[in-house]
Amino acid sequence: MRRFQISLLLALVVLVAVVAGTGGGANAASGSSVTISNESGTTWTCGFNPYNGSVLGLSFGTVYEELVYVNALQSAKATPWLASAYKWSNGNKTLTFTIRKGVRWSDGTPFTAADVVFSFDLLKKHPALDLNADWSVLKSVAQKGSQVVFNFKTSAVPYFYYIAGQTPIVPKHIWASVGNPVTYNDPHPIGTGPYTMSKCSPQVITYQKNASYWQKGLPKIDTVYYPSFTSNDPANQELADDTAQWGSQFIPNIKGYYLSKSPDHHIWFPPVANVSIFINLTNPQLALPVRQAMAYAIDRSRVSQIGEYGYEPPANQTGIVTPTYKSWLPASLKGQYAYNPAKAKAILTKAGYKMSGGVFKSPSGKSLSFSIINIGGYSDWVASVQVIQQELKAVGIEITPQNLSGTTYDADLYAGKFQLAYGAETGGPAPYYELRQLLFSKNSAPIGQTASSNWERFSSKQVDSWINAYGATTSAATQHSLVTKLAGVMTSQVPAIPVTEEVDWYQYSTKSITGWPTPSNPFAQPAAYSTPDIGVTLLHLRPKG
Amino acid sequence: MRFVARRLAFFLVTLWAAVTTNFLIPRLMPGNPAIAMMARYRGRINPAALHSLEIAFGVDNHQSLVSAYFSYLGNILRGRFGTSLTFFPDAVSHEVLQALPWTLALVGVTTILAFVLGTLIGLLGAWRRGGFLDSMLPPIFVITSAFPYFWLALISIWLFAIKLHWLPANGGYSIQTNEAWTWAFISDALRHSIMPALTILITSIGGWILTMRNNTISVLSEDYVRMARAKGLSPWRIMWTYAGRNAILPNLTGFAMSLGFVVSGAILVEFVFNYPGVGWMFLQAVENQDYALMQALFLMIIIAVLTAILVADAATALLDPRTRDQQ
Repeated sequence: MRRFQISLLLALVVLVAVVAGTGGGANAASGSSVTISNESGTTWTCGFNPYNGSVLGLSFGTVYEELVYVNALQSAKATPWLASAYKWSNGNKTLTFTIRKGVRWSDGTPFTAADVVFSFDLLKKHPALDLNADWSVLKSVAQKGSQVVFNFKTSAVPYFYYIAGQTPIVPKHIWASVGNPVTYNDPHPIGTGPYTMSKCSPQVITYQKNASYWQKGLPKIDTVYYPSFTSNDPANQELADDTAQWGSQFIPNIKGYYLSKSPDHHIWFPPVANVSIFINLTNPQLALPVRQAMAYAIDRSRVSQIGEYGYEPPANQTGIVTPTYKSWLPASLKGQYAYNPAKAKAILTKAGYKMSGGVFKSPSGKSLSFSIINIGGYSDWVASVQVIQQELKAVGIEITPQNLSGTTYDADLYAGKFQLAYGAETGGPAPYYELRQLLFSKNSAPIGQTASSNWERFSSKQVDSWINAYGATTSAATQHSLVTKLAGVMTSQVPAIPVTEEVDWYQYSTKSITGWPTPSNPFAQPAAYSTPDIGVTLLHLRPKG
Repeated sequence: MRFVARRLAFFLVTLWAAVTTNFLIPRLMPGNPAIAMMARYRGRINPAALHSLEIAFGVDNHQSLVSAYFSYLGNILRGRFGTSLTFFPDAVSHEVLQALPWTLALVGVTTILAFVLGTLIGLLGAWRRGGFLDSMLPPIFVITSAFPYFWLALISIWLFAIKLHWLPANGGYSIQTNEAWTWAFISDALRHSIMPALTILITSIGGWILTMRNNTISVLSEDYVRMARAKGLSPWRIMWTYAGRNAILPNLTGFAMSLGFVVSGAILVEFVFNYPGVGWMFLQAVENQDYALMQALFLMIIIAVLTAILVADAATALLDPRTRDQQ
């Protein structure tokens, strides 16, 4: 009897060992390859519709391309892409693109101006595809030989970024026969880009290089693997042991876990937007002295160190992200609202607020006690708000964090159902974009209705006119002076308090591949989820040696 | 016959109640799927996209609850589960069918293995109470059953994948292999399933051992076992057909239920090992307010569990004549 039991267990152990042993020969593909490790939080659907917000990162930049590449890290520096040239005219209400010659779709059909007109008509006909609301400013798009002419309702210079830089162009000869482009999966995308999608499963997408790509001799990397990761830990592990070379997510204790593993491991976190406290301006308790006091009371570098492990740098009150956009930061506003708790108390006292029991009371007798909504799943933001809570308490302002689910948080934020909110705007390729998101009254809405980005409900005719004036000029000097005025609103009105700066998460290994974006050569936003920058980065990569 | 009919009627009533609850509960949750999708992108897409998402998902066309309920029932009968919002614009049925084989293979096989091994060890342990096997295995597995699953999984990843490099740390197969019925793929997939399978096995086997052992011990003191011994039957035959057959009865329903729950996957396992199964899909469906996906998954679980219970009832009736007589 006993022999039987032991042999049963033995058989099991042997079986396990045999299976474990035989699988070792998973052969790697020949040629050079790069593997991306970006925690997507989802498995792949193997849909590649570039107008579907949830999968556009898997085809835009790699398979589909844009008219002009606009680099957010170099103050919107424009590189002609599918358009070989462009020109503003008619008081910046008309934009004309000259379409590049000699470009072919990956099925061999030549790419023409008709494809561009078709793509924009598609967005007009199906607003569900128009992710950047291009048609909120466009009047018409028409072909003129090898040129495409865009007419705008008003001067819309900043929309160049969305229309030329953020709208993928699809082939007319394929998409014209698609019944419903909104629910179209696009399982076998045909694009002009440097890669074609060769294989897809819920676990991994494989891209092969497009041998007839219009930039001759590129790309240098043959195969791109893009595995799906539903959680952070396995994604980080693949980076640490060099199974994946290109990372785009948060890694705790990055020095010990990643950098120390190999001298070839590098990181760079370029800031692109602010993480701010949005202040609900319709709440009379949150008057200007209170907002100013809060801005003085927060030690932003301490929040950055404790809440963000120092990865996300401290922000400044102007809302201009530095060092990314430091050339825009006006000297007169530099260093405003530096940490000064004594000044915070002095402002409140001067405005008639009285301290009682450690908390300031307004002249009408109400305690300065507020709730702040935050996303409970973002552990870094939760830690940051705890630091802010202590610092505000030290100057007699109480805040109570409410850590919500992402969905509830967004619903409350959009509808204005909050007193304070910790959150971030998306920003854009220059400081103007974030300031516009924060301050333009058209981005606002009455409480209870959805505001697109002006969640604090700031409204000023003067500020709106400055924002519109920026849209009407291509002069760098005028744009700089207008941004200085908008930054001045941020410091004088304090509608929001930028605390830390959101970064592009980016880790890379130079063990087998070189040509990565670096702080000294920021040719593209380096995170793999940045579109269409992912394509630009892939075009720069090359095998080592 | 009456026994079967009564069981079937019970099955149908439970099914209807479950299907109706399944319809109502997701609709009581706050928010809408377009906002849920925006939240998932953590500001990586333009806020203006919210409007385009609401149009695409049909969030703004309101249907009354009653008419939604009847079109829901009609669609279920025809096997239509609609479009998933999490995996937009993919059909729910397609997504579920892609994930289901992974879960069935991993969780199904481990559930059966855990039951078979646990029952065997429990039976043998009770048969030779105080012997080597009885004093070693039950205590060990009872302790391992108390381990938090994710802790055991993380420890084994650390040991076998990171330190020893014996087994892959995550995924269902290596990204360089082709998904096809070749030996290379199958062995690769098996290699990837060893760690998740063993961790499930180790943490779930203890329960079966303990209950089987206790059942057997109480059965062994029954008169009919003493009678069998007195008749001089071989110990082997007594153990299997007298003790084992009776001791396993209470465990059958439990086993049937856990078989039914196999289709719900193992959320923690799939999360920790980045395994492409149904459990993780479940979590996503709830987080993204993906009613269509949620309902399809719940429905699948309800039907699987109810069917399993029905089968277990029938099996009990077969194994134990007493249940038949009482009808």
